[in-house]
Amino acid sequence: MTAVTTTRPADEIVPAKRRDPLLIALWITLVVIALIWIAPFVFIFFTSLKSNAEVMSSSAFAPPASVHWPNFEGAWRNGDFGRTLINSTIISFVKVPLGLLISAMAAYALARIRLRWNKALVLFVLFGTMIPFQVMLAPLFTLVNGLGLIDTYVGIILPYLAFGVPYQVFILQGFFRAVPKELSEAALIDGASHITVFRRIFLPISLPVLAALLILDFVNTWNEFAMALVILQDSAMWTLPLGLMSFQGQFSSDYGQLNAAIVMTVLPAMIVYLIFQRYFVSGLTSGALKG
Amino acid sequence: MATVEIADVRKSYGSVDVIHGISMAIEDGEFVILVGPSGCGKSTLLRMIAGLEEISGGRISIGDRVVNNLPPKDRDIAMVFQNYALYPQMTVAQNLGFSLEMAGLKKPQIRTKVEETAEILGLTPLLSRKPAQLSGGQRQRVAMGRAIVRDPAVFLFDEPLSNLDANLRVQMRAEIKALHRRLGSTIVYVTHDQIEAMTMADRIVVLRAGIIEQMGTPLELYDRPENMFVARFLGSPSMNFLKGTLAEGEEPALVLPGGDRIVLASRPEARGEIVLGVRPQEVTIDPVRGTPARIVVTEPTGADTHIVARVGDTDVTCVVQGRVEEGPDDIIPLSFAVPSAHYFDPETEQRIDAAGSVLELAARSQRAVQ
Ligand SMILES: Nc1ncnc2c1ncn2[C@@H]1O[C@H](COP(=O)(O)OP(=O)(O)OP(=O)(O)O)[C@@H](O)[C@H]1O
Ligand SMILES: [Mg+2]
Repeated sequence: MTAVTTTRPADEIVPAKRRDPLLIALWITLVVIALIWIAPFVFIFFTSLKSNAEVMSSSAFAPPASVHWPNFEGAWRNGDFGRTLINSTIISFVKVPLGLLISAMAAYALARIRLRWNKALVLFVLFGTMIPFQVMLAPLFTLVNGLGLIDTYVGIILPYLAFGVPYQVFILQGFFRAVPKELSEAALIDGASHITVFRRIFLPISLPVLAALLILDFVNTWNEFAMALVILQDSAMWTLPLGLMSFQGQFSSDYGQLNAAIVMTVLPAMIVYLIFQRYFVSGLTSGALKG
Repeated sequence: MATVEIADVRKSYGSVDVIHGISMAIEDGEFVILVGPSGCGKSTLLRMIAGLEEISGGRISIGDRVVNNLPPKDRDIAMVFQNYALYPQMTVAQNLGFSLEMAGLKKPQIRTKVEETAEILGLTPLLSRKPAQLSGGQRQRVAMGRAIVRDPAVFLFDEPLSNLDANLRVQMRAEIKALHRRLGSTIVYVTHDQIEAMTMADRIVVLRAGIIEQMGTPLELYDRPENMFVARFLGSPSMNFLKGTLAEGEEPALVLPGGDRIVLASRPEARGEIVLGVRPQEVTIDPVRGTPARIVVTEPTGADTHIVARVGDTDVTCVVQGRVEEGPDDIIPLSFAVPSAHYFDPETEQRIDAAGSVLELAARSQRAVQ
């Protein structure tokens, strides 16, 4: 194998005139699925901008005739979304980066530091991903209650970490294992400590994975309902989904406001997604090794 | 700059012994090449010197320090890996400067040193590129630069050229040699390319299955291989071996199992069965002393022609200058009567010395008569 190959970017290859029928079929499938997914959002978004009278008189997917902003104001006020938004923000912004950092460090240790119990530890972590949290809700409540952490941020963040970290560790250690070991060895010879290797080599080259995990975890945490319901009982501590739930109970007939509330709930998650999706670019490790 | 001393070093992975007690002393500024077939433990030995593998037994010293328990960064070594292992997210300049940064040097100092190194290796125009934007040869150079910039006591190379194409390999071979002369540092270099070993090394260490078969200068190993393994390993094409029985009689000769008789130029100090080893370049076509051989194939390489021919039931290779007219199934007389022929014990495969050339023998017998 020679290292000096002149690779030609794929897009320079002369495109065939006739499209592959399989590709066309795939495209059509993709578009159909996308439409099915987008439809409810369109419905929610349009409805959130209609007055109640218009909701009743127009078709569900018809765009609003005139934009009706008061829905958002009303929902914000009636649902106490200011408070729940702050709670959700604090919880997610602490839990998600912290959890990812812990996972990444644990994954690095499992993948790169020779420990006697490595295999057993990985199995243990894997076991952690297999427990459905619904099973754990009652014992979890007892535990958090025993620690006196009901209705506190710590009381909800700790269980979130406990259930979020294992699968992240599992995914990341698989990814770290695939990083050529010469890369960390070269850095160790160059005088780096494990912390430096982790920070300067592993974190940068795993940005795409970290971004993906961050988005997934953020959306999960932001939308988490069951555990929050059990642990956060004081309405002052509620997160957005709890607030939305309660709002829905009171204002189920005011479609405009209800959908405005839903839009406000999902919007932050979408913004986070849009910010981090650009790190999804793959191929950051290319060029580390022979061509 | 430092000596490296390896004393009875062993390595086992679990119950599998990979290195069975290797000892050697590498002098300050020496260029030592470890060669051997795949899986013989070359990389393992190198990695033990680097501190990337634990040493299961024995002692390794660099300079006057025993380094058995020192982490890699404290051993004052630099290593160039077969796959280069450049930091993908850093530019060439950052790759080169990483170790200096780790050593706590100031920014301007790092910049000067990086620029110096880049100058030596012709990397100056590439300093702001990422590894992905370099060709294989350029990456190789960056990997070497990363080693040079630290000015280590010992350089360790693990098959650094095996991913390059043939031309580039020849060029880099010369550059590494020039670099060694310029820096005067101790180099331990692993390869399984015997041409690299012959052309670059001050001393070659031939390994097989975790033990040293022989070490010495390239020409020592070429001229006096201690056993058939070393003889086979160095030189291209590989040495011819013919097994037969020594003829009793005035003229030294080997009788092959099929009855063919091979004239020898010297008399080995042995009786009965032996193995004769002659390099393909020393086999000649000789109607007087030659043994008839049936040509199997001829391979013109341009300047030379390689003839593979069958003597008795063994295929031998003969390199002759120029072109040959004969083709497959023609019979040619091949002579192995060269003073530099080697003899080996067929059982132990160890070298058997020759008592001297026929001329010497003749002279000696004449003296005895007088
Ligand atoms: N981590 C390991 N666990 C068990 N055996 C190993 C391990 N690493 C290497 N070995 C074994 O040790 C032996 C020597 O390996 P090494 O990599 O040193 O060979 P090498 O001489 O460098 O070969 P090559 O020319 O193919 O690079 C091989 O038989 C290999 O299977
Ligand atoms: Mg190797």
